[in-house]
Parts: sequence; C-alpha cells; structure tokens
Amino acid sequence: MSLTRRDFLVGSAALAAGATVTTPFLLPKYHSDQRRKRSRVAILDSQQYSQHLDQILAAGLRLFPIDVRGKTVVLKPNLVDYIPGNAINTHPVLVLAAAESFRHMGAKSVVVAEGPGHQRDTRLVLSQSRYEQCLRDEKIRFIDLNRDELIRTQLRAGYTGMKYLWLPRTVLEADFIVSMPKIKTHHWSGVTLSMKNMFGVIPGSRYGWPKNILHWKGIQESILDLCATVPIHFVIADGIVAMEGNGPLNGTPRPLGKIVLADDPVAADATCVRLMGFEPGRIAHIHEGSRFMGNAHPALIDEVGETFRPPTTPFQVVQEFQSLRLQ
Amino acid sequence: MRTVTTDPIVLSDLLAELALRQLPCGGWAALASSSQPAIEPTCYSALVLGSASVGDIERAQDFLLRTQNPNGSWPVFPGDDQEGGWVTSLAVMALGDLAWAIPARMQGIHWLLNFSGRESNWFWKWKFRTADRHVRFDPDKYGWPWFPDTVSWVVPTAFSILALDQIPCACDGLEHVASRIDCGIQMLFDRACPGGGWNAGNGVVYGTALAPHADDTAIALLALNDRVQHPVVQSGVQYLERVAPTLSAPSSLAWAILALAAHRRPIEPLSNSLAAFPDLSSIEDTSTLALVCLALDQQRALEVFGVAL
Repeated sequence: MSLTRRDFLVGSAALAAGATVTTPFLLPKYHSDQRRKRSRVAILDSQQYSQHLDQILAAGLRLFPIDVRGKTVVLKPNLVDYIPGNAINTHPVLVLAAAESFRHMGAKSVVVAEGPGHQRDTRLVLSQSRYEQCLRDEKIRFIDLNRDELIRTQLRAGYTGMKYLWLPRTVLEADFIVSMPKIKTHHWSGVTLSMKNMFGVIPGSRYGWPKNILHWKGIQESILDLCATVPIHFVIADGIVAMEGNGPLNGTPRPLGKIVLADDPVAADATCVRLMGFEPGRIAHIHEGSRFMGNAHPALIDEVGETFRPPTTPFQVVQEFQSLRLQ
Repeated sequence: MRTVTTDPIVLSDLLAELALRQLPCGGWAALASSSQPAIEPTCYSALVLGSASVGDIERAQDFLLRTQNPNGSWPVFPGDDQEGGWVTSLAVMALGDLAWAIPARMQGIHWLLNFSGRESNWFWKWKFRTADRHVRFDPDKYGWPWFPDTVSWVVPTAFSILALDQIPCACDGLEHVASRIDCGIQMLFDRACPGGGWNAGNGVVYGTALAPHADDTAIALLALNDRVQHPVVQSGVQYLERVAPTLSAPSSLAWAILALAAHRRPIEPLSNSLAAFPDLSSIEDTSTLALVCLALDQQRALEVFGVAL
C-alpha cells in the first residue's frame, strides 16, 4: 500500500489534533499559583434523576466546609443544545437540588446562569430541556450569559495570547461560582468537564455562536486562561448519565451513576477523567492546570464519599483521542 | 399570500413596552434588567418602531450613528473594541434610507465588503482542504464571520446578504457587491444540514449530520428569499414548516413566521400561536420582544429586511 502526500498530511493533522490535547505546555504562562495545599473530592452514587437527589446532594455537600451565608451563588450548568435522547445537558433536577441546598445553607441569592454555545435561542433550549418549567416552579432566576452586561476583563494567564475578554457581569460579581458540568467526551478537547464548562460564560452576543474565537486561540489554552480568570469555587458534576463517543452533542448516553463534588476544579476534572477510564495527565488543560490552579495527583486529593473504582470499560472516544484511554 | 391580521391590542401593548425600554441614550439594552445599550436590540427595535407612533426613532438612529466605529463598522455595544463585528449588517439595515445616514451606511457597506471569513485566505483554504477536515465544508465558499479573524457562519452571512441586497446600484466602488453576495449564498448552500435547514454552520462533523436550528434556518431562508427553486432552500422551508408548530420559544417562532411569510407559506396559525404566548410583554430579552413585534406585523418587517413579496 502506498502512502500519498495527501494521506500523509491528513494523517499528520489527525495526530496533531490529538497531540494538542495530550502535549504538555513547555512554559508556564500563569500569573499566580492559586493551588490549595490539599483538595477534597466526593464521589456520590446516584443511579437516576429522582426526587431523592436533593437529599443525596445535601448529604454530599455536608462533607465540605462550605460557607455561602450571605453570598450570591451562581450555578453554571452545561446547557448547550437539545437533541431528544442525547445526554447533552446537566439534568435540571440536579440543578434544582443544588439551588435548594445552597438556599438552605444561607446563600443570599442563587441564580442559574448559562450562555449556550450552539443554540442562539436560549429560551428554546431552556424550554426543551425542561429547565424553564423547573426554574419557574422553584422561583429561581435564570441569567442568559450570552446577553448579560459585559465588562472588559484582564486575563490572569497568557496561554492564548489574548490580553482580555469581555465577560458577563453576573459571573464577575458572583461570590460563589459552582460549575455543574455534564461528564462527557468531546471531539475537539477530549473531555468536557468543570473547566471546559466555563466556555459558557463567553458571551455569544460578542463572540458569536459557536464561540469560535476560543477554537482559533486553542481550546486547551482558552480553558486555562478563562479558568485562571473566572474562579470556580465548587464543582457538582453530573455523571448519573454521562456521554461517550462523539460528544459533546452526538455521543452515546453512558450510565455512570455518579455525581462528583469538589472544592477544586482540577481535582474534580482529574477525578472525572479517572472515572471515565482515562489518564488525567494526558489532557493538556488538566495537566497544566495542576501546575497553578488545583491538584490533579491523587496524593493531594482527599477522597470522601464513595470509594473510587475505575470503570471496567473506558469511555469510547473519537479516533484522535484513543491515547487518553487507559486500556 | 393572505395578510394575517393579528389582534392590534397585542401588538400595540408590545410596542408600548418596547418604547418604554428605550434608554436615555437612544439605544436599547439586550435584557430588560440591564442599562448597557447594545446594537442588536437597538437595530431590531429601530426596525419595528420605524413605522410606529411610539418610541423615539430619531433618537435611536442618532444613537446608531454616534456608535459607528471609525472604520465604518459597528461595535456590539458602545465601549466595545473598535474592530467591528456582525451587527454592522443590522445597523446598515436599521438606518434604512435616511438621507442624513447615507454616508454612514455607505461606510458600513464598504466595511462589510472587506470583511470575510478567515477561510477566504489561501493559507486557511489549504489547511481546511488538507489537514483540518473534521467539519465538512468547502472553504472556497465563504461568507461573513461573527467576529474578525474567525471563519464564516450562517447567521452573520445571512444578515450581510440581506444588508447588501438593499444597495440600489453597483457604482462608486460597489461593483463587487453582486459577486460577494453570490459567494455568501453559495456558502449558505454549502453549509446546510443534510436533512434540510441550517444550524450555526456545521452541517456534518466527524461524519455525523448535525441537527438544524429553527432560527438559524429562518434567517438563512430570509436571505435566500429569491432562490425559492433551489433544492436546498426547498428542503429548508420544508424543515421549517415541519418544526415551526412545535416551537416553544417566541424568538425562534418569530423568525420562523418571517421566513415562511417570505416564502409565501401559510402563517396564520403560527401568528396566532405567537400572539397567544403568555406574558409576551414581560419577555426579558429585548431583541426577542422586538422580533415578536416584527413577526406580528410581518409585511412591514419583510419590507425592512428588503424582502419583496
């Protein structure tokens, strides 16, 4: 079989796409080391989106010394688009359970905020994915981050080369930001978890749908710059039904039966990646994030809740990211 | 096509609410709770209020003229960077045929003619042909991006086509308008979803056909209102007719009504559904409120978008 020049170029490009996810950055480009000495992660068992979820979550949150009394809490779910039967979005029942818990914990206000990256009609996604009714019933305010007031914000890392971004006021003025990702594979970034979830704070009205500037500046680089600038104070990751394969939209639902809580986004994502059967050090933004944003190494993470068990079969991924899998 | 008569009380209430939201600067904010004016809601509101007896349309037009960038483009909001963006096409349309706004419109049009997706450059064409092939598209067919230094997408391309289509002549440096419009139209054809309709602009990714969106489809169909015989347009209209009765959000439904009216499809049940939406005047998103007004007065709306019936 002969290798044509075209085959060579295409093959090189495919390898390069995977390599951008797995190749570590050579030089640190962060402004400050934000890592805590030790991080805490809780893995909670939950097989379905039932009404008991609020009790499960409340018990899980009690494992952390969180004080949100008098604070404005922003819950940032992953709400991208709606395709019937696809496990794309953070389930609204989990978001409601989180809102209920933080209200009980004394938060001054709890809002749900998101700027969908694919669908311009935010209200349509809210309606189709059952958020609209749930939020209305529970009197929880929703902020469309694609159309919120914008503030020019200096970035606190320099991986993209961008000096600043226009970011939503709601996020910048929040006291306590909770990233609530859906645990999914992603055909551009390998995985999409609590850090990648923050792409949703980039305003579509300013940068478009999808938020294409972040792809041009490098997805891994953009995740690092954004998360260095907009702090994630807590993570509640929805892995009850996750997604594998050609995520973030067209993958296959993968029942995982887990919710991951963490006080550190890097620790949260590293743990989620292990639950998916991947090696966290092979994801560039997690590897680099562990140098200044949080802890990825198990020795620096206190596990509470259920005991971690790797999956018998790693999550399926698109061809470029096969190297992420441990088996 | 039958003219749809919507309850005038509904429309007048919505127009009054829209007028109330006008800020002292003359513009409108994206959200009712905000005081930061933005170009997109201002343009839709100006298009609506151009023929209404409420609101201060002159102050709105003056706001648009004051916020134009030195390079002829418009920012997304006052205070934004001055490189310009996708809202330029909306501002060009919102200024209409005002005599005193002609120089500003012409500057905007010239900027649009020089603004294109990054794939129009030979290097990126080569990259997308040889290396970066996970998204299926033809880089020779380019339109307009949302934001400089990114690739073309469906909505900014459709708005730019609508704006450039309103130019009355091909003189004074505008000789290339027709070819630029045609390139944009070819790009829209190329980026359609395989089953009909459009999303943001990725029809097939990793070999998987992606789902269309109603609002993106509708805006593309408005721009393609004179290509009714093209099979891509026909399948887009069929998709939109199929999905429109199921839409549970006013913005997508409003766009669907405008597009189907432009393609001479029956819209009366859809208009009735839109008018019956609960709490229309308390819609937080001002662009949506203005679009609902446009959809409830669709004949005038199609005129301002340059669609001839």
